[in-house]
Amino acid sequence: MATVSNQISSDLIWEIVRNNNAYVVSRRTGGGVRFSRDPLNLKNLHTRKYAGFVNEKALGVAAAENGGVKILSKKTSSSQKPASNVTSTTYHGGKSAPQAVANQTAKNSYRPDLREVAVQRVSAIRRSQRPVKPEPEQKLRGNKAKKAAAASEES
Amino acid sequence: MSRPTVTIIGKDGAPSGASHLMPTVFTSPIRPDIVQQVHTGMAKNKRQPYAVSEKAGHQTSAESWGTGRAVARIPRVSGGGTHRAGQAAFGNMCRSGRMFAPTKIWRKWHIKINQGQKRFATASALAASAVTPLLLARGHQISSVPEVPLVIDSSIFEGAAAAKTAAAFKILTSVGAGADVLKAKKSKKLRAGKGKMRGRRHTQRRGPLVIYDSAVDGKELVKGFRNMPGCETCDVYALNLLQLAPGGHLGRFIVWTSAAFKALDNIYGTTTKPSELKKDFLLPSNLVSNADLTRLINSSEIQSVLRAPKGGAVTKRAHVQKKNPLRNKQVMLRLNPYHATFVKEKLGEQKAPEGKPPATAALFKEVVNQD
Repeated sequence: MATVSNQISSDLIWEIVRNNNAYVVSRRTGGGVRFSRDPLNLKNLHTRKYAGFVNEKALGVAAAENGGVKILSKKTSSSQKPASNVTSTTYHGGKSAPQAVANQTAKNSYRPDLREVAVQRVSAIRRSQRPVKPEPEQKLRGNKAKKAAAASEES
Repeated sequence: MSRPTVTIIGKDGAPSGASHLMPTVFTSPIRPDIVQQVHTGMAKNKRQPYAVSEKAGHQTSAESWGTGRAVARIPRVSGGGTHRAGQAAFGNMCRSGRMFAPTKIWRKWHIKINQGQKRFATASALAASAVTPLLLARGHQISSVPEVPLVIDSSIFEGAAAAKTAAAFKILTSVGAGADVLKAKKSKKLRAGKGKMRGRRHTQRRGPLVIYDSAVDGKELVKGFRNMPGCETCDVYALNLLQLAPGGHLGRFIVWTSAAFKALDNIYGTTTKPSELKKDFLLPSNLVSNADLTRLINSSEIQSVLRAPKGGAVTKRAHVQKKNPLRNKQVMLRLNPYHATFVKEKLGEQKAPEGKPPATAALFKEVVNQD
């Protein structure tokens, strides 16, 4: 570990911050669900697994400008250097982004447990960036259709 | 484990080339429970006594009417001529009565905290200030800070260079701490509730804490930082837990001057060498030498003495949920291997032969009807 001493593990940090921290969003609705605003949290859930700022290795996926996807990942070597701790890669369009994320998480054995969730988040962001299809005009049925037909015949 | 070194940042945020060994105080145990308890006590030590007037609610000559008047026996205001006469008085349930258990100025306002606990809490809060995740958890904006702990060369503060707020802010911005000040500045909001009329009109986040050594850095920088929103200054020889862990929450963002940072080993000593300035003080030591559970489990020492896992590659699980063979094909096949053929030949879907069933043989009837 590259922290101050090996006294400070992610487990200890989690025990300190799990009750309350700057990222957590608690709501009484939805069975007291607790969300997290951490940019390195793939599911936006306040849990040990997804708490990116606690874990030494973590991934973040966010939408980038003009249809890209930005992947954040933490370097283990520089946990004491916030400015250079998080690296960011941007993938522009194409179908390669989910595959690249899968490679980044699992093939490098960085955080294989996050692969599925990371790919899901990338896909969700890509889906949200697609142009919205215009809704087809509603077909008239019943009396309305008869009236419309009659109106078109008259004219 | 050898202690890591910390880069000392020079002019314009560039590393000065010098570095300093991390003072031992940063390896103290991080104990939120102790910090919270000490903080709660210390926060109470600045309170001023208050109380309601001794006479409040008792400035009337009310006496009970006793029984037999078909009214409650509470003291009633004597005399006549005003509406007040005959009204109940004194009781906490009465209009214009005294409050229940009137507050007294001799309440126990201040809390004594043992010196050892206070020192432990301070050391613990200092150690937590070097842990990046705890700083993030407190909400500090440190994404552009080059290193935690953040140490600036004292030469930058020389000759009252930070005596003006603009100059001081420039120094903070150059080391990436400007974002935290701006966050505190933007966070100023009107307080909810009655605190507004009691001299606590606004709420605001805390920004960075600048710790300096007054002997080397002088005291001019206090003037430069004091009007910066959320920013506080503190002499390294008089550290205050209320600043190191505001609200009892660990992980204050601290900006050290290099002189103050170097003074830490002198002030706190180590776990074996007593402090030079604090009488009979040794830094608290950790109970475990490695708190990383994953690292412990995966260590060769532990892995070498573990026995191999029991069972083969495929092990029958005990106490599993019963599956319905009519819905679960695999379970059905386990119970009835013929089911595969039954499904394949579609025997279940075949229609019964049409027409009447063939007549029963005469011999069969005879046998069945035998007595």
